[in-house]
Amino acid sequence: MNLFTRPMRLLTAVVLEETGDAVVKALLKLGVMDFVHLNRLDPSQMEKLSSRPSAINRTLLEDLRHRVEALLRQGHIALPTSQNLDVRRLERPDMELYRSTLDELTASLLSIKEEQKQSNQILMGIEEIRRYIDEDKGEYLDLRVGTIEGDRQSDLAARISSFGGLLESLGEEEKLISLTLRRDVAQVDPLLEKFGWTESSDPALQKKAIGIIRTRLEGERQRALEGRLKSEQAADSIIAAKRDDLFDIWSNLRLNELSDQIKGYFSYTHNTTLFSGWVPADQAETVRQAIMMASDGQCVIEWTEATEVDRAEVPVAITSPKVLKPFQNMVNNYATPEYGTVNPTIFVMVAYLSMFGLMFADLGQGFVLLIAGLLFSRSYKKNPLKSEGMITRNVANLLIYLGLSSMLFGILFGSTFGLELFPALWFPFEAVVAGHAPSGSLVTDVYGILGITIKFGIVIIYAGLILNWINLTRKRAFLTLVLDKNGIVGGLLFGIGLYMGFGFVNSGYHSFPSQRWIAPAVAISLLGLFLRPFIHAFIEAKESGKRPAIGALVMDGVMEWLVDVLEIFTGYLSNTLSFMRVAGLGIAHASLMESFRQLSGLAGGAGGLAIFILGNVLVIVLEGLSAGIQSLRLNYYEFFSRYFTGKGVAYRPVGLTTTSRSRS
Amino acid sequence: MRSRNPVDVYGFINAKLRARIGKMRQDRLVENLLKAPTLVDAVALLRDSPYRQVAEVYDRTGDLQQMELVLLHTEIEMHRLVTKYLEGRPATLVDHLLAKIELDNLKNTIRLWYSSIVRRRPIRFRSEYLFKERILGPINWVGLINATGWEEVQHLLEGTDYQAVIDSFTMQVIEDEGLFVVESALDRAWYVRLMEILNTLSPRDGEVARSIFLVEIDLRNLTTLVRYGRYYQMDGPSVSALLLPWGRVATSKESTHYLAQPPAERDALLLINRFYSGLDEVAVTQKRGSVHSDEPGVLENLKIEEYLAQRRAELYQKILGGDPFTIGLVLAYFFLFKEETATIKATINGKYYGYSEEYIRGVVG
Repeated sequence: MNLFTRPMRLLTAVVLEETGDAVVKALLKLGVMDFVHLNRLDPSQMEKLSSRPSAINRTLLEDLRHRVEALLRQGHIALPTSQNLDVRRLERPDMELYRSTLDELTASLLSIKEEQKQSNQILMGIEEIRRYIDEDKGEYLDLRVGTIEGDRQSDLAARISSFGGLLESLGEEEKLISLTLRRDVAQVDPLLEKFGWTESSDPALQKKAIGIIRTRLEGERQRALEGRLKSEQAADSIIAAKRDDLFDIWSNLRLNELSDQIKGYFSYTHNTTLFSGWVPADQAETVRQAIMMASDGQCVIEWTEATEVDRAEVPVAITSPKVLKPFQNMVNNYATPEYGTVNPTIFVMVAYLSMFGLMFADLGQGFVLLIAGLLFSRSYKKNPLKSEGMITRNVANLLIYLGLSSMLFGILFGSTFGLELFPALWFPFEAVVAGHAPSGSLVTDVYGILGITIKFGIVIIYAGLILNWINLTRKRAFLTLVLDKNGIVGGLLFGIGLYMGFGFVNSGYHSFPSQRWIAPAVAISLLGLFLRPFIHAFIEAKESGKRPAIGALVMDGVMEWLVDVLEIFTGYLSNTLSFMRVAGLGIAHASLMESFRQLSGLAGGAGGLAIFILGNVLVIVLEGLSAGIQSLRLNYYEFFSRYFTGKGVAYRPVGLTTTSRSRS
Repeated sequence: MRSRNPVDVYGFINAKLRARIGKMRQDRLVENLLKAPTLVDAVALLRDSPYRQVAEVYDRTGDLQQMELVLLHTEIEMHRLVTKYLEGRPATLVDHLLAKIELDNLKNTIRLWYSSIVRRRPIRFRSEYLFKERILGPINWVGLINATGWEEVQHLLEGTDYQAVIDSFTMQVIEDEGLFVVESALDRAWYVRLMEILNTLSPRDGEVARSIFLVEIDLRNLTTLVRYGRYYQMDGPSVSALLLPWGRVATSKESTHYLAQPPAERDALLLINRFYSGLDEVAVTQKRGSVHSDEPGVLENLKIEEYLAQRRAELYQKILGGDPFTIGLVLAYFFLFKEETATIKATINGKYYGYSEEYIRGVVG
């Protein structure tokens, strides 16, 4: 894991045009280069370069690939991934052939779906009649028993089936059963008459007919169901049979898309190809060798260090171990850090888990979160195609950490499902909240808990400030390091404020500390803050030789100073007090558990147990969610705002694992 | 009773619906569906959308009308969800919008009944495509589809909101004039009730809702004038009877003049531009290899209806940008949702029959 963003180097290479394709394949296989357009060259040199229109329309490639994906999904086949891509098999796509293969397969598929539709319609007709029989809605049915003239049973059966009805033999005296819907009686009557139907008035036969027709309907239903299922399976198998072809088409289309994407960054002279891109410094040698090999050594490669380029243009890569992915995602969701600054992932992990644990300290409930996280993660691993619900893959992994944190703090506070089953290692949180802290407890009332969280907040804020000072030192922004609200002066003023605040509390809320150094320290700090824009303007003027407008500079300086002072005095205070929410949620958690414990005791027996379990479920879901959100909020607003500018540009290399969205 | 603060009434639903609208726009489902080259591709797009169930039904049955039934179910559920977050008169209005779905279902049921009993065409399995659960009122859908006479239909609809209209028609009238007159009367009754409900809303809600529905009525009347007055060449009094008596169009001099002319000479372009200027040319020439023999006429009509649908879409866009704490946002959401489901229906059907993207766009509007 890098404590800072990964060092980067800018490669600029010239290869012979004839080796261009081989170089593309090599770079695609490595997948570490974040390409840039060659616009840093001298304009006169740029004039000599030309771009080439792409030989393949990338939109067409994408459209065709989406068609392949649609067919595979229709066949319930997992889509190919970057693992299926092999640059050695990259070839010019035969779009016509691909299109006709897909058209053919689609046509066959649609024809099967049409058969499936017909089976479904037969099934629906049978289901309707069956439902009326089952629900005893005989008034909608027209069941008759009788005979017809001549041997025209199959003819009549066909005519009746056109109404969705059935004709069945009763099995004695050539009697037949006709079952249709009463709404069709106006058509059925003349039809039966035409066949010389003679109705039987024997009620026993009618009763028997119902039993026979039920059996027939069940048989017809099974047949239709099987027919429909068979079509569904046929649709799947027709695609499964073409799976390898579809995978090949998909892979070649995707490789061509990526190859075309890389070539889009290429510039050309008469015989050579030029390109440029950022690679992590630790990959530079591998990239150089790959280009050398692909171009048979006929290439020129130049490296530019990131320090020689404007920091804002250098893409930022941060690497963290896989286990820290949930916290890496938290950082990514916020913004990209500046190049060369601290990688916040590990700090976020510590801060987030500490905050969550303080708010949701319970060994038993933490164990539930841990188990839930493990189960969800396992389910996603077992079924990679599973669509993400409310508990996404990332949340599932995060739950494991949250569970562990909650368990650890549960041990420190001696809480298991709200019960004090073992002595607290630190202090009994729930007993303190309930007002009966044992003698000798390190904390005896809720004010003590509030005090702990405020001190915790101070540690977090100072940690943020220190990280900011490290970042500013690395950026060589020494003026800001010293004279900024988040610089050393800001930290000093915050420290003085804390000293005053704690002094006031320690005096029993009677007086503030009055040491002689306080006023001069505050005054010098404020003066430093005031002078910063003027010093900055002076340095800039010295470097550029341009004198700033004095009036505007004074106005801006005064305004900036006023805002900074306001932010320091109110911002630091509110940021510190904001951490009281950690205590608030922890107290709410303990109070809820105490309430459910008492309710459970009052109810007793099975009811009491139900209340206890339901109470725990409610607390795990609601309090867990609330603590998770508040921890995130504290990290984003109180911690990140001290050192994380989010001005970086994310490193997006083009490779086989590049998703179509990530560089669109 | 003191009316509630609009922020209290609409605050929560506003946030919820805006989030849904944002997601709808982000997903670009409608646009992607229209561009899908085949039915298989269109269904694939539904798999990753909130309409996953629709795609699952296709896998199971291969039947587009079954898919439409799932969409109808989704639409009903959406109305119920919104009603749950509202109360009082705004909730009554939303219920009345749900009543339109019930009315459309009733019209479909009666159409099927008409086909079976009056036209004597067996409907077989088609009754299974109808929504048979309760929507608003206790309607015996199964009874209706199995009714063997109009009197039975009337009897089954006794005590419902539709009784008065249904009772005003006899079997003889239906046999002679078809169902169109019954359907028009049912629609008109729905609009009459709508206007009554609008009058009960708070002044701000009433103003917003009226501004929407009066334009809706104008657009509907214009569509009626073009479709029946020009495309189907019906005589003036018959078309006039179909117009809803609200808004600017129904009672305008232009409409009267338009209908007074012989059907072949009626200028739809001129009429529409009088109310919504900007429609340039609608004449379409027959293309070689057209799917339909009367394609130019159909396309002309579609072009006009598409233009009017665009004006409707603009109206709702405007509402979305207006005061968030009125019934306007709810109505705009309904419009967008209906637009989405209508596009899904039109697209899956259009792709099934091999129609072009342009043609489907015309149908969708």
